[in-house]
Amino acid sequence: MTPTIEVTNLSKRFGKVTAVDDVSFTVAENTICGLLGRNGAGKTTLMQLLTGQQFASGGTISLFGQTPVENAKVLQNTCFIKESQRYPEDFRPKDVFKTAPWFFANWDQEFADRLIADFRLPLDRRIKKLSRGQLSSIGVIVGLASRAPLTFFDEPYLGLDAVAREIFYDRLLEDYAHHPRTVILSTHLIDEVADLLEHVLVIDEGKLLINEDAETLRSRATNVVGTKTAVDTFVGDREVLHRDGIGGLSSVTVAGLSESERRDAKAAGLELSPVSLQQLIIQLTRTETKEFEASA
Amino acid sequence: MTTTTSALAHPASPLKRITRVTKLHFANPWTTLGLPWIILGVIFAGSLTIWWLIYSALSPAQRIGALNGTEFGGSSFFIFIYMMVVAIQAISITFPFALGYGVTRRDYYLGSSLAFVALAVIYTTGLTILAAIEKATNGWGMGGSMFAPIYFGDSALQRIYAEFALFLFFLFFGAAIAAVWVRWKATGVVVFFIAVGAILVGLIALLTFTDSWFAVGESLVDLGVIGAVSWSLVLTAISAVAGFLLLRRATPRNAA
Repeated sequence: MTPTIEVTNLSKRFGKVTAVDDVSFTVAENTICGLLGRNGAGKTTLMQLLTGQQFASGGTISLFGQTPVENAKVLQNTCFIKESQRYPEDFRPKDVFKTAPWFFANWDQEFADRLIADFRLPLDRRIKKLSRGQLSSIGVIVGLASRAPLTFFDEPYLGLDAVAREIFYDRLLEDYAHHPRTVILSTHLIDEVADLLEHVLVIDEGKLLINEDAETLRSRATNVVGTKTAVDTFVGDREVLHRDGIGGLSSVTVAGLSESERRDAKAAGLELSPVSLQQLIIQLTRTETKEFEASA
Repeated sequence: MTTTTSALAHPASPLKRITRVTKLHFANPWTTLGLPWIILGVIFAGSLTIWWLIYSALSPAQRIGALNGTEFGGSSFFIFIYMMVVAIQAISITFPFALGYGVTRRDYYLGSSLAFVALAVIYTTGLTILAAIEKATNGWGMGGSMFAPIYFGDSALQRIYAEFALFLFFLFFGAAIAAVWVRWKATGVVVFFIAVGAILVGLIALLTFTDSWFAVGESLVDLGVIGAVSWSLVLTAISAVAGFLLLRRATPRNAA
């Protein structure tokens, strides 16, 4: 089966700046994929390349087995909601919801109406008079109700409060269960979306650092907590991602543990706990940046 | 529980892909239709008031032909220039929006062009109707003339042709400027106008140094309204093609 997204050696340079640097990955059909990274890491540029809004400097992109650039057959299956999505100034939200169905074959008006009620979006107010959060909720509603086979959300929650963000995550997951599709979600609120993600891409300074399914990624590290001596004995020469200590206590994040290693740790009186995706990514990006610097 | 995979959309027909962009420009008709007519209405009301002031100050004998000069007025010219603004607004506002909806640049430009032709038809029709009323009411009862200026010829047909062609010119010239704006933002537009200015100054210099002004005037008279307006279609076509080529490689960016 052709992956929905297939990217090979993709690069994008703006003058001297390399925004996307030799990136390769695939995203399988019907996955929710997190595109994570710090501000300016290249997330938006990557999504613009994928949707044919930017032109690549090198490498290839294939969506549904074809190049997206100026390809109506591919692009009409995509919906791209940007962080600060602009709308025609004289539009009111109801104009947006009137026009959107013309462009999305799978548009579900009932779902859109429900979301409008959920987000308490005023339909008759002019776009320029809406708050930042209300503006963001328009994008979220269009992105969800479009049911585009490939939907991109580029930090769609700007100005949305915690309740509204929760509604977004809930509705996304709920609707995804009934209508599976491929969703690329770029965000830096990693912990909030951790449970949604099936696949994780982490990009930093244009380079792809992590390209793994979320399960594998989570099992890549464990927190080991106990007395300093016990922890040090157990850890030995293991790869340590992070080390913390207070007094005689020590907490160390180590790379993945096997079943027998876990038993050994428990026998030594150590406590094991999973590492949150956010912590893991922070730690992995730190070490990988260091490794990169060391090898450079 | 039924689970349906969001199947790949059945490809929309090329015509539908284009006309939905056209419809997008009229989804909220305030920018493209509302405001221009309102401004024209205000100018018209102003003109009527002035004509009435003049008219009522004159004795019935003086009134005959007193407002004949108004047919040299240019108060309806604004609407032509304003179409350039409409085109610039329409493109700069909807381009990034439509691309997010998965529209290709090609479909976007063709759909927008169709919208511009529709606008030219609508505005020409409007002006033609108003001109007919103006003639039928003997210049709104006062011999005034706003919608049938002498520059567009004497017959209704000539006027329709001239107005339609001019609307097209300003709309597509606006589209070309908008494409420059979308692609290079303010810097691009500044360079563009410097270039246009340089070309105009160059032409003026050329005509002055070769003493050709008289010849130009003569050939314009020879061409007549229809001939001169027909030449504008060449500029319109150049603008339209330039707009397409520029937009074809443009990337939507956030607010400048």
